[in-house]
Amino acid sequence: MRRLTFVAAAALLLSACQTVQNTAGTPTTYVDPSTLGPVKGVGIESQDIISMTDQMMRDMLAEPRLGNAATPPNVIIDAEYFVNESSSRLNRNTITDRLRVGLQRAAQGRMQFVGRHYANMVDAERKLKRQGVIDQGKNPAAAAQKGGDYRLGGRITSLDSRDSKSGMTQRYTQIVFEMADLESGEIVWSGIYDFAKAATDDVIYR
Amino acid sequence: MNKVFAAMAGLAGIAALGGCTQVQEPAPICNMAGIAAQRQLVALPAAAPNEPSPLLEMPLNSVSITDYTVMNKLFVRNVVAQRTPTGTVKVVSQIVNCTDYPLNVEARTQFYDQAQAPSEQVSAWKRLNLAPRTFNTYSENSIGTRTVQYYMVELKETR
Repeated sequence: MRRLTFVAAAALLLSACQTVQNTAGTPTTYVDPSTLGPVKGVGIESQDIISMTDQMMRDMLAEPRLGNAATPPNVIIDAEYFVNESSSRLNRNTITDRLRVGLQRAAQGRMQFVGRHYANMVDAERKLKRQGVIDQGKNPAAAAQKGGDYRLGGRITSLDSRDSKSGMTQRYTQIVFEMADLESGEIVWSGIYDFAKAATDDVIYR
Repeated sequence: MNKVFAAMAGLAGIAALGGCTQVQEPAPICNMAGIAAQRQLVALPAAAPNEPSPLLEMPLNSVSITDYTVMNKLFVRNVVAQRTPTGTVKVVSQIVNCTDYPLNVEARTQFYDQAQAPSEQVSAWKRLNLAPRTFNTYSENSIGTRTVQYYMVELKETR
């Protein structure tokens, strides 16, 4: 009985002492792409791409002409008219691909997505079907490929400055996203993401 | 009797010291002691269905400062949510920088359904630049429409 009391008292004492083990986890080569990693410079980085595409996706879904139209519009989102005029070396597809995939998964029928970057692939298959080289497949024949109602455009620009004494570099980067009506040319939605970074470290983007 | 006098003198000294800390500050003035006093504690050791969560500082429909380094530097002035014309939910919150220094913070929002389960992926971190003793506005849109019923905003310092 005395031993039991002792064990119970010890357990109570231990539980009273429990706190968060507030220490770092095991080191790994993986880093969280949504936050600043150990290699950081003044250019566009993974956390910027994740943040900007998430912001634009959510903002587009709040625009009635895109996110709440009576008939879901056909949209084209690719890098064809999304140009990089900044001093950052960047594959523009990283931004537009993430935006398209994120938006399509989130839209759930509120918009329809046209893969214009697959137009040649679709055209080749359609020709083979029409020539009778291959059969029709399960889907019914379409008169033509889908046309787009809206298409993404945009521009990345930057402004660089450098302190020759300290070697510190500062870069302001501005990324503009616009959705244009493919009949009238009207810009029905636009979004902007910008930031300025200053650093002395010599990071090379490849 | 002497002990009573000594105790009273001690209390008077403490009160005087407390008075010295009441320095008049320019607006905005943040009552961090008041915020700390509002924090509620739950006694449960672990999360269980239909029981209050031991995550004391993160109630739904609120902004939680999750970073110790800015906990006593920021003040969440308000947080509101409203439906957009497309049915999504927009959360808007004003964050006050109570310090005399510029601060860079970032926030993200998790939206929840009626059952208080996450209704979509958590939003990406959104940066907020706060000049000394100014406020800035954080806003985030949900992806879902009718499924969204609650939200929770996390706020931390940008590193």
